[in-house]
Amino acid sequence: MPESVDTRRLKLTNEERTEGVLLGFRCLECDTVIFGPGTFCQRCTSAKLEPIEFSQTGILYSYTVVRIPSAGWPGPVPYILAQVELSEGPQVLAELVDCLEDALEIGMPVELTLQLVQGEDSSAAKVVYKWRPANQPSPTAEVDP
Amino acid sequence: MTQFRPGRQVMVAGVGLHPFGRFPEKDLPTLALEAVVPALGDAGVQWRDIQVAYFGHVYYNGMSMGEGALGRLGLTGIPIINVENACSSGSTAFWQAYWGITTGIFDLALAFGAEKVPRGPVTVTAEDSPERYIGADHMMAGYALRMRRYMMETGASETALAQVAVKARQNASLNPYSHRKETHSVEDVLQSRMIADPLTLFQCCPTSEGAAAAVLVAEDALSRYSIDKTRAIRIAAAVLTSGGYNGKGSDHSAFSPYRTEPAALEAYEVSGLKPEDVDLVQVHDAATIGELQQLEALHLVPFGEAWRATEDGRTAITGDIPTNTDGGLLAMGHPFGATGIRMIHETVLQLRQEAGPRQVKNARVGLAECSGAGDVTTVHILTR
Repeated sequence: MPESVDTRRLKLTNEERTEGVLLGFRCLECDTVIFGPGTFCQRCTSAKLEPIEFSQTGILYSYTVVRIPSAGWPGPVPYILAQVELSEGPQVLAELVDCLEDALEIGMPVELTLQLVQGEDSSAAKVVYKWRPANQPSPTAEVDP
Repeated sequence: MTQFRPGRQVMVAGVGLHPFGRFPEKDLPTLALEAVVPALGDAGVQWRDIQVAYFGHVYYNGMSMGEGALGRLGLTGIPIINVENACSSGSTAFWQAYWGITTGIFDLALAFGAEKVPRGPVTVTAEDSPERYIGADHMMAGYALRMRRYMMETGASETALAQVAVKARQNASLNPYSHRKETHSVEDVLQSRMIADPLTLFQCCPTSEGAAAAVLVAEDALSRYSIDKTRAIRIAAAVLTSGGYNGKGSDHSAFSPYRTEPAALEAYEVSGLKPEDVDLVQVHDAATIGELQQLEALHLVPFGEAWRATEDGRTAITGDIPTNTDGGLLAMGHPFGATGIRMIHETVLQLRQEAGPRQVKNARVGLAECSGAGDVTTVHILTR
């Protein structure tokens, strides 16, 4: 079964590996919320961190259409890279799918979606978190490429 | 931030530079030494007098490259430290040399940097990192995200952004050491290949090879080494900061120069100088948007107004905020380990009134700001 691209940031929640939640921590001392791995609080360095699961939605803070990708990018070219602000505060960078370039707008609501991504060469397929416009009909394709 | 206050006065006694560009026939130590030897000569000191050396570089070319390079000058047994701090590696080496002297440990130090950056988009993480699947590790895409947001928030036009690159090319055309020598119009910049919308190729710095070096000395040791006092340039502030909490709790770099402001405020405080005292500035313009945001974070222009200052010609050599007078990363080039010391090199030339056709009139105070992944930021202020 394919694994999460990063188990510290994405927990898969069903057997089919099609659903999941983004992970992070809330500091019990200063209430700061961080996305992804943490040992102590980014802000106050307290060790009293409580694991949290983020809601599935966010707002598009900024975006770019990457036309010359980094080496090792296994996805389509060009692709939309989205900087998304979660309602809990942290920002999460990921590809934005199921959206035409002309429809992109800073401030638009987006929601989490998962895709199975085959790595370059023969490296393992991973389940990767992506963004898609919120409140759209169901995704066209689940597995790409 | 920095918990220590400066002690002894420290001067830059000499600088050296290897041209930036592509030099497949030269290995990294060769590049480095072609900056180090001129810097020693410029300072008028001997290699055997150097008491400590710091070498900034990022890409792996074998272990202990600083030792490998300097060993060709003679194995004197001094401490040689290899420094990796992303794009700030060179400025970090310089910062360490400063603190080694101001604290009284050393009298004469060498800071140098060299790099042979591979071609193609620059990434921060290792090749097998999750980021390669996620698609978020792309330095210029990060700048593009900043740029789109900045344009929305400030009303900056694409033309204003392109003008940063036009100005960089103009300055570089006056610099025999620059990677890019051809000048461009705003149209050329906007019509060049799109890398990550809205960032076009000519708004991104080239990946370069090159080297830079500086010799630092305690002011009270100038006579002992028979260094020409009239050419020595004072280091009025040396500040380094790494990532601090940015208010977002994100797992990626902030994509804004949010560490520059606190570093700059400390540098102004330590030096007793104010933003309006700065006669010229070198900032980290890996992309056009970088220059604008750094100028604002340094309080040289109000937030959201650097694009207008650029359009008005204020950042040109003849303007009131001459910026990246040698062409900057955008046109001088960006060999990571060398870049921070290249900024020192240009500042020293300007303050000595030795910058030739690029000379800023009556330059007495120069600021150099360099940023890297991990939100490492250095701010150095030099004075004549």
